[in-house]
Amino acid sequence: MLNKKNLFGFLFSLKTAFWLLCALIAVLLCGAVLMPLNEEYEGMGSAALFDWLGEARGSLTWWLWGAMALLAALTANTLFCSVESLIKKMERKKWLLVVSPQMMHAGFLFILLGHLASSLGGMKGYATAFEGSALRLPSGTVLKINSIKIDVDERGFIGDMRADVEFLKDGTALKAGQIAPNRPSFHEGYGVYLKDARTYPARSVLIEVSREPGAVWALVGAVLFSAGTVLLVALRMGQEA
Amino acid sequence: MFSLLPVPLYALSVFLRPLLYAAFGLQAVYLAIRGFETGRMPIVGVHDTLSLLSASLVAFSFPLLKAVGRRRDFFVMLSLTAAMFSLFAFFSKPHAGPLPPVLKTYWFELHVVLSFFSYALFGLGAILGVCYLRAPGDSQGLLGAQYRSLLVGYGFFSLSMVFGGIWAYLAWGTYWVWTPKEIWTTLLWLFYGLYLHARLMGKWAGRPSAALGAAGFLVVLFTYLGVGLLMKSSHAF
Repeated sequence: MLNKKNLFGFLFSLKTAFWLLCALIAVLLCGAVLMPLNEEYEGMGSAALFDWLGEARGSLTWWLWGAMALLAALTANTLFCSVESLIKKMERKKWLLVVSPQMMHAGFLFILLGHLASSLGGMKGYATAFEGSALRLPSGTVLKINSIKIDVDERGFIGDMRADVEFLKDGTALKAGQIAPNRPSFHEGYGVYLKDARTYPARSVLIEVSREPGAVWALVGAVLFSAGTVLLVALRMGQEA
Repeated sequence: MFSLLPVPLYALSVFLRPLLYAAFGLQAVYLAIRGFETGRMPIVGVHDTLSLLSASLVAFSFPLLKAVGRRRDFFVMLSLTAAMFSLFAFFSKPHAGPLPPVLKTYWFELHVVLSFFSYALFGLGAILGVCYLRAPGDSQGLLGAQYRSLLVGYGFFSLSMVFGGIWAYLAWGTYWVWTPKEIWTTLLWLFYGLYLHARLMGKWAGRPSAALGAAGFLVVLFTYLGVGLLMKSSHAF
């Protein structure tokens, strides 16, 4: 019978983490094999994950639900193991060596939180725009494309492209800026991206508007994970030297 | 033809070790020349990245030489792996066109360079693991060297994923794209995470974790070459 002690024993266990990781790898492996076999997966990137999951057939999504269930269990295990480890080992002199793996664990959990937030509230939309045209963003703000510049080299390749844009509300300019590949402009939680440009028949750009509410959490997680990793590597190398 | 020169040197270094360092030197010079000619880091396409992987594999073996000692099996595997990657690089067409604007960013360079540094370290981890499995009794140093190699590789790989995520967010509005390449990358990251946890478990310490660390390189090879060749990828430009 599963009593309170057994349950905590299970949650605190490194063995549980190990087998959960094994199961997660197995489930993701199934997904990695299935994805190239079915074109319906190509729609995953154009909507928030949970919106797509609500629409897609169960035969396509079972491994994603499985992965989420395993990640939920792994989250609980990570939290319990990290807290237990900190309580047990903080007395030791080399506390940085105790803290660094827990920073990695915390980073991992923040990254999962970021994925969850984006899977629930993310959105993405595309539009083609010409010089002087305007697009209405989901927030109600109007995005005006004032000018488009495209540099084409002698072989006909696009070397660079950029567009001067302006955010307007009720005819009043709120913000002006320039967008280019890798240089989006952000306004009211939405990112405006320049994805592509054409010079013919008229100068036009492909604009992407996206909202990624989990990005900040994922970045916090990435910084924590990276700091923990660098610290652990430095300490371990120092120990071994 | 310059890119072919390291191949016989790497292969012959099985018999004469200084040739390994000569081949590495030539490959480093080749990469520098290619970078100078193209005006960018030589990290675009299979030709560049295989050359970088081969050179990195040898470069990262230098700090491990003390732990490896005079073990012939280590140097045989290292030389032949470097020769094989260099040979495949020679038969792959170098990327000659201009870079798409989306690739002109430091985030891309950091992402790729750290990925291939980590792949090289994972490769060394596999070689060290195999050496340990061949003679586990007297080779505790090899096990430690494998752990160091894989831990640093895991660190580089994690940083590479972080930089890739930042770049993807700035380029495509999302730090995560649902394609087989991302799933395989996550699998690889989880696999080495599994290795790092396994070696802390009594039953899995020693031979089992050494085998796990060695097997990871098969996942590396499929993530790098298999996914790119067989599947649609967000990493095709």
